[in-house]
Amino acid sequence: MSNEFGYLPESPEQSFGNNKGIFTPKDIYDLTRADKYTNYGQLELIQTQTASSAVVDFTNLGDFDVHFVTFNDIVLSNDTTLFAHRLSNDGGTSFISSGYQYAIQYMGVNNSYGEDKGTTKLILTTLGLTGNDTNETKNGYIYYYHLLDSSKFSFCTINSFSMGSIAEGLFGSGVKATAEEHNAIRFCTTGGDAISSGTISLYGLKAYS
Amino acid sequence: MNLIQVATTTVTSAVSAVVLTGIDDDSVYMVTINNFFPDVDNKDPVTRVTVSGTAQSTSNYDRAIKILKANTSFGNVGNQNRSAFDVLTGAGTGTGEQNNAILYLYNFNNSSENSYITVQNTAINASSNHFGSMGGAVYTVQEAHDGISFSFSSDNIASGTFTLFKVVS
Repeated sequence: MSNEFGYLPESPEQSFGNNKGIFTPKDIYDLTRADKYTNYGQLELIQTQTASSAVVDFTNLGDFDVHFVTFNDIVLSNDTTLFAHRLSNDGGTSFISSGYQYAIQYMGVNNSYGEDKGTTKLILTTLGLTGNDTNETKNGYIYYYHLLDSSKFSFCTINSFSMGSIAEGLFGSGVKATAEEHNAIRFCTTGGDAISSGTISLYGLKAYS
Repeated sequence: MNLIQVATTTVTSAVSAVVLTGIDDDSVYMVTINNFFPDVDNKDPVTRVTVSGTAQSTSNYDRAIKILKANTSFGNVGNQNRSAFDVLTGAGTGTGEQNNAILYLYNFNNSSENSYITVQNTAINASSNHFGSMGGAVYTVQEAHDGISFSFSSDNIASGTFTLFKVVS
């Protein structure tokens, strides 16, 4: 609770769901930062990164139950490895490289439909087709659940469309079936090769009870 | 894209159903579901449109879903004239067994159109296997729907957080 903001004709106490008075832009900014300005639910950008090194790590996940990631125009340095993601339980000092489960449907424009699945995977899921020739980019989005909840498994769903030797879509889901906090995400390749370029944005879905 | 929260419910003690209402215009709406599981093992989630907050159980739901399974071959499920959308994974009470999903809701407020949903689901099912579902469903009754309800085929919801957002540009 706060009554530090100078509203007319008085300075009423402000809290989420109970704002009164007249607000200047600075008041709204200050109250929003203090989580005391009513703005029901939103997609909050946590960070956008442009790939400039071998991997892209997100080590600040904010405080959300559900996260949303977009990736676009991802270019890989090697022609034979897949774009992928992994989780960390130590803030990004290291990333877990075993014990994932996923189930992904792939759909090639040449009718090459099929399943990619397993219960002892080295990555949370794949995110796009191989290929690093000109215009062979990977694009898509991910929802994550319970990453920061130490009592629950961490889940995700993925949707992507990318270009390799052909164009191919993916949809699927993955889980790290270990009840622990996963407090960093790494975007990488299955072969340990670099992500040459591309943009990845991490959002949190804010909801108020 | 931005989201405006319309309604949310977190279940912390058993309830028979969760109803999210507040759909009152022709926007696309989105529902997040997480940590959704029953109080009795091996139950099927039931999802229905609502009219004035009441779940509609007429046999006018059609679905088409790809069932994703980490441990075995995937499945295709297509049915017509069901009594609910039935787009989530069969649920249990074992460690980690739960549903998480994003639903998008289309045309719910439009009284002259069918009401559609799409689903992206990731789960641990009642046999402790990692399953997911991707697809869509439609309620083929042209009437306005003000919300969506969640329950199980029998018994109660033990846990879950359900949030309804309006999608705005």
